[in-house]
Amino acid sequence: MTGVVTLNPFSPQAAAISHLFIAILIILGGIFLLVTALVIVAIIRYRDRPDAPEARQVFGSHRLEIAWTVAPILLLALIAVFMIRAIEASDPPVGDEHPDIRVTGHQWWWEAQYPSSGALVANEIHIPVGKSLLVEVDSADVIHDFWVPELARKIDAIPGHVNHVWIRADRPGVYQGVCAEFCGAEHTWMRLIVVAEPQADFDAWQSAQLTNPPTPKEGMEARGLQLVKDQTCLNCHAISGLPGHKNIGPDLTHIAGRQILAGGAASNTPENLFRWLKDPASIKPESHMPNFQLSDDSVHALVAYMETLK
Amino acid sequence: MSKSKLAVSLFILSEANFFALLIIAYLYFHAYPGEGPTAATSLNAYRTGIFSIFLFASSATMMLASRSYRAKSSAAFGWLIATLVLGGIFLFGQVREYMELYASGVTANRSLFATTFFTLTGFHGLHVAVGLLAIAAITILTGVGTLGTSAREADAFGSVEIYWHFVDGVWVVIFTIVYLWAFL
Amino acid sequence: MSDIAASDRIAELEANPERIGFLSWVASVDHKQIGIMYMLSALFFFGLGGLEALIIRAQLAMPGNHIVTPDTFNQLFSMHGTTMIFLVVMPVLAGLTAYVIPLMVGARDVAFPRLNAFSFWVQLFGGVLLYFSFVAGGAPNAGWFSYAPLSEPAYSFNNGVTYWILGLAGVGVGSLAGAINMAVTILKLRVPGMTIRRLPLFCWMTLVNSFLMIFALPVINAALVLLLADRLLNAHIFTPAFGGSAILWQHYFWGFGHPEVYIMILPAFAIISEVIPVFAGKPIYGYEFVAGSTVAIAFMSFAVWAHHMFAVGLGHLFDLFFGISTMAIAVPTGIKIFNWTATLYQGRLRFTTAMKFAVAFIVMFTIGGLSGVSFAVVPLDWQLTDTYYLVAHLHYVLFGGAIFAIFAGIYYWFPKMSGRMLDERVGNWHFWITFIGFNLTFLVQHLLGMMGMPRRVFTYPDWPWWMTLNMISTIGAFVLLISVIVFLWNIVSSLNHGEIAGDNPWDAWTLEWATSSPPPVENFDLVPPVHGRRPLWDLKHPERADELVAAAAGK
Ligand code: HEA
Ligand code: HEA
Ligand code: HEC
Ligand code: CUA
Ligand SMILES: [Cu+2]
Repeated sequence: MTGVVTLNPFSPQAAAISHLFIAILIILGGIFLLVTALVIVAIIRYRDRPDAPEARQVFGSHRLEIAWTVAPILLLALIAVFMIRAIEASDPPVGDEHPDIRVTGHQWWWEAQYPSSGALVANEIHIPVGKSLLVEVDSADVIHDFWVPELARKIDAIPGHVNHVWIRADRPGVYQGVCAEFCGAEHTWMRLIVVAEPQADFDAWQSAQLTNPPTPKEGMEARGLQLVKDQTCLNCHAISGLPGHKNIGPDLTHIAGRQILAGGAASNTPENLFRWLKDPASIKPESHMPNFQLSDDSVHALVAYMETLK
Repeated sequence: MSKSKLAVSLFILSEANFFALLIIAYLYFHAYPGEGPTAATSLNAYRTGIFSIFLFASSATMMLASRSYRAKSSAAFGWLIATLVLGGIFLFGQVREYMELYASGVTANRSLFATTFFTLTGFHGLHVAVGLLAIAAITILTGVGTLGTSAREADAFGSVEIYWHFVDGVWVVIFTIVYLWAFL
Repeated sequence: MSDIAASDRIAELEANPERIGFLSWVASVDHKQIGIMYMLSALFFFGLGGLEALIIRAQLAMPGNHIVTPDTFNQLFSMHGTTMIFLVVMPVLAGLTAYVIPLMVGARDVAFPRLNAFSFWVQLFGGVLLYFSFVAGGAPNAGWFSYAPLSEPAYSFNNGVTYWILGLAGVGVGSLAGAINMAVTILKLRVPGMTIRRLPLFCWMTLVNSFLMIFALPVINAALVLLLADRLLNAHIFTPAFGGSAILWQHYFWGFGHPEVYIMILPAFAIISEVIPVFAGKPIYGYEFVAGSTVAIAFMSFAVWAHHMFAVGLGHLFDLFFGISTMAIAVPTGIKIFNWTATLYQGRLRFTTAMKFAVAFIVMFTIGGLSGVSFAVVPLDWQLTDTYYLVAHLHYVLFGGAIFAIFAGIYYWFPKMSGRMLDERVGNWHFWITFIGFNLTFLVQHLLGMMGMPRRVFTYPDWPWWMTLNMISTIGAFVLLISVIVFLWNIVSSLNHGEIAGDNPWDAWTLEWATSSPPPVENFDLVPPVHGRRPLWDLKHPERADELVAAAAGK
C-alpha cells in the first residue's frame, strides 16, 4: 500500500468504487470551482471603492432561485444514478453461498479461518489470485472493521451481527489491511495483510497450514517448547499438536511463517519476537498479552522454538 | 397562548419524544427478547390496570379543579386534593409493583425486558412525582388563598394542568404497549 | 444615543464597579451578562479542546512518536471532539443567541430570565463534570460517540464514559431549556410590527434551530439513560453477548448526532445571513428562500442519520435510502450558498474582518459540504468512512463552517457587547493566519484519507508521503495556535483601548443597533417602529423604506 489506495484498485469491486470516486470528484470539483469563481468575481468587482455607487437594493429573483434549486436536484439525480449503478458492482450480493474465509476481530488482532480446509491463521490471509472469495466478518468483543482498500469496501465486524464481503485480487502481491473502526487502546495496531498468490502457491500454503510442525526433541528449541507448556501460553494460544485450543490470542502453529507481529506493530523477525516475548508492552503497550518476566535465556529458548513453527 | 403555556407545550413536545425513544427501546427488545423474565411472566396487567384508573381519574379531577378555579369557585381546592390523592394512589401502586417485582427477583439487570421496563416506567413515575409536587404547590397556594386569578397566576395553574394531562396521556400509551400488548 | 453618550456609558460602568463586579455576574439573570458568560466559558473550553488537538497533532507529526500513550491519545481525541462540539460550539452559539435575540426582537430580556441562567450554569456544570474525569481516574476514551460495546464497562475500565454521560446530560438539559426559552422569546416578545415574515433571518434560523433542539436533544438524553443503565445497573441493552444490540446504540446516537450537526450549523448560517447583507450594503437575496430552506433542512435532518452507519452492513436498500435522503440536504443548503453569493453581487462590499470571515465561510463550508456529499454516495463511504477524509470533512464544516461564522459574529457584535471596536488591523492578521493555518491543517487530510490513513490512530506506519502530509497538518495546527493567540490579544487589548463603537458602527439595520453599546440593563429606551425587515434602514431612508420599494415593485 503506497499510493492513493482508494484510487488504486486491484479488484473489480474496488475498481467500481474508484471509478465512481473519480466521476464524483469531477462533478463536485466543478461545483466547487463554480462557487469559488462566483465569490472571487464578486470580491473583485464589488469591493468597496471610494467612487463606488451605493449598492442596488435588490431583494431577489424567484426565477434565479428556482434555477439554483433545480440545477442541484438534477445533478444529484445524476450522482444518484451513478451510485445505484455502482452499489451492486462494488459490493456484490451474497445469496446463500458459504464463506471461503471467516474473519473474526479481536482486541487487537484478526483471526481467520478457512472453513473448507479448516486452516486457522492470524493477521495474515492468503488468497488465490483472480478468484472472488466470500469473507464472513464477525467480532469476538467490540466493533471492528475489516478493510483492505485495494481489494474491497470496508465492512464492520460487529458482535451479534454477521457481515459478508467479497474480496479478490487480480494481481499477485501483498495488500495491506487495517481495522477501520475504533476498537480501544490498540486500534492503531490491528492491521493485517492479504497475500495474493497463484493457485498452486496458495494450495501449498494452505496445506502447510494444516500440517503440524515437527516437535523439537532437543536443544534450545525443546526448552522453548517445554516453556510453552509450563507457562500459561496455552491458556490463550493454540498450537496444533499441543493441548488446548483457546483463541484469546492468535494461533501460533505457524507463527514463524508470518510477516507481521502483533497486528503490524512490528515485523516478524527473531529480534522483534524476542522483544515481544520479553515485554509485549515495548512493542504494543496496551495489548492483552501479559508480560511473563522471563529471563533472557528463557526468551531466547522461546524464540528458538517459535522459529521452528513454520 | 401565553408565554408559560407555550413553554410548557414545547417542553412536553420534547418529553413526548423522550418517552417515544424509551418506548422504542422497549419494543425492540419485546420483538427480540433475550433470556430472563418477560412482560408476560412478570407483570400483572389486571392490578396495574386498576391503579391506572386512579391516574386517569386524576386527569378528570384536575380538569374540574381548573374549571372551578377559572370560575373563581372555592371547589377548586377540593378537586386539587382529590387529584393529589388519586395521583398518589397510582404512585403507591407503582411502588408496590416494583417491590413485588424486586422480591420475585425481577431487577433491572435481569433481562432486557426488565431494564427497558424499569427505565420506561421509572421515568414515567418520576414525571408523576414531579407533577404531584407541582400540584401540591398550587394546592397549598389555593388553600391559603394566595393564588389569585391574575393572568400570570392563571398561567401557572394552566401550565401545571397541561403537564398533568400529558403525564396521564403518556401512561395511556405505556399501559397499552407494556401491559396490554404483552398479553396479546 | 450619540457616540459621546456611549463613551459616557463606558465611563459610567467603570465608575460603578458593582455593575461589573464578580457577584453581579454570578447572580445575574440578565441575558446580556449570561450571553457573555456563555461565550467566555466556550472560549475557555476552546483553549482546552485546542490544546488537546495540538497534542494529538504533535503525536502524529511523525510516525513512531511517543509523546503520549495510546490510551491517553484515545482520551485526547474523545475529549477534543466532545469538548469542541458540546462545550465550545453549542455554548458559544447559545450565548450569542441569548445576547442578540432579545435585542433583535426589541425585548427587554428573554422570556424566562431565570431559566436562562439555569441553562448556562447547568451546561457549565456538565462541562466541569466532564473535565473532572481527568482527575477521577481517566477521561472518556471511547470517542465522541462512545460506540457500544466499547463504551460498556466490560471494555472501558475507568469511569470516563460515565462522566461523559453525566456531562452530556448536563449540556443536554441546559440546551433544551435554552432552546425553549429562545423559541418563546422569538414567538412572544417581538415588538409590535415585527411579524414573522419580517423577522430578521438570525431570529428565523434560531427559531427553527430551537425546534430542532427540542426534538433532537431528548433522543440523546434517552440514549444516555439507557447507556447509564448498562454502566451502573449492570444491564445489557447494548451488549450483544447478553442479548443486547450494539447497533441500537448507533441508531440512537446518530438519531441525535445528525440533527446535532445542523444544530451547530444553523446558528452559523444565521450569523452569515446577518453579516453578509450588512457589509454588502443590500438586503439578503431571496429572504423567503433562505428562511424556507432552513425549515427544509431541519425536517430533512431527521431522516438521514444512518449515513453514519453505511459500513455497518444493513443492506443495500437501507443504505440507498439514506444515501439519497442525505444528498437531498445539499439542495436547501445549496440555496443558501447561492443566495449569500448573490447577495454579494451588485453590492458595495466592505471587507471588515467580520465580512472576511463570512465570505471565507461560503467557500470553506462548500468544501466541507461537498465532501459530505461524497460520503452520501454510499460506495464512496464504504472506502472513505473512518479515514482522515472524514476528519477533513468534519473540520471543514465545523471549523471552516461553524467556527468561521462564530468569528464573523464576534467581530460583528463585539462592539455592541463591549462598546469598543475590535482592532481591524489585528483582525486582518487574525483572519489570514486562521485561513492559512486552517487549510494547511485540514486540506491535506483529504489526501491522507484517500491514501488509507484511518482516523483515531495514535501512530502510523512509515509509508511514503504519510509523514510529509501529517507534518504539514501539524504545522498548520500550530499556525492555528498563533491565530488564536492573535485573536485573544485582539480581544484583550481592544477591551482596554479599542475605539469607542457608538450605537451603530456598521451602519446595520436590525434593532440591536438602535440602542447604545453596550446596551443598558433594560435594553431600550425606546424601540424604533418596525414596518419591514430592516427597521434602521427604513428610519434612515424613509423615502425608500423596504415596504415602499416592495409595494412599488408590486410584490
Ligand atoms: C456542522 C456540522 C456538519 C454539517 C453542516 C455537515 C453536513 C453534511 N454532512 Fe457531515 N458530518 C459532520 C458534521 C457536519 N456535516 C461530522 C461531525 C461528521 C462525523 C461524525 C464522526 O464520525 O465523528 C460528519 C459525517 C458525515 C457523514 C458520515 C460519514 C461516515 O461516518 O462515514 C456523512 C455521510 O453522508 C455526511 C454527510 C454530510 C452532508 C451530505 C452534509 C450536507 O449538509 C452538506 C450540504 C452542503 C453542500 C453540498 C455544499 C453547498 C451546496 C451547493 C454549492 C449546491 C450544489 C451541490 C451539489 C449539487 C452537490 N457527514
Ligand atoms: C468544532 C469542532 C472542532 C474544532 C474547532 C476542532 C479543531 C481542531 N481539531 Fe478536531 N475534531 C473534532 C471537532 C473539532 N476540532 C471532532 C468532533 C473530532 C472527532 C473526535 C473523535 O474521533 O471522537 C475531531 C478530531 C480531530 C482529529 C482526529 C483525531 C483522530 O481521529 O485521531 C484531529 C487530528 O488532527 C483534529 C485536529 C484539530 C485541530 C488541529 C484543531 C484546531 O483547529 C484547534 C485550534 C485551537 C487551538 C490551537 C487552541 C489554542 C489554545 C490556546 C491559545 C490555549 C489557551 C488556553 C486556555 C484559554 C485554557 N481533530
Ligand atoms: C492472557 C492471554 C495470553 C497469554 C497467557 C499469552 N498470550 Fe500471547 N498473545 C495474547 C494476545 C491477546 C495476543 C495478541 C496481541 C495483539 O496483537 O494485540 C498475543 C500475541 C502473541 C504473539 C504474537 C502473535 C502474532 O502473530 O502477532 C506471540 C508470539 C505470543 N503471543 C506468544 C505467547 C507466548 C510464548 C506465551 C507464553 C509464554 C503467551 N503468548 C501467553 C494473549 C496471551
Ligand atoms: Cu479493531 Cu479497530
Ligand atoms: Cu450526519
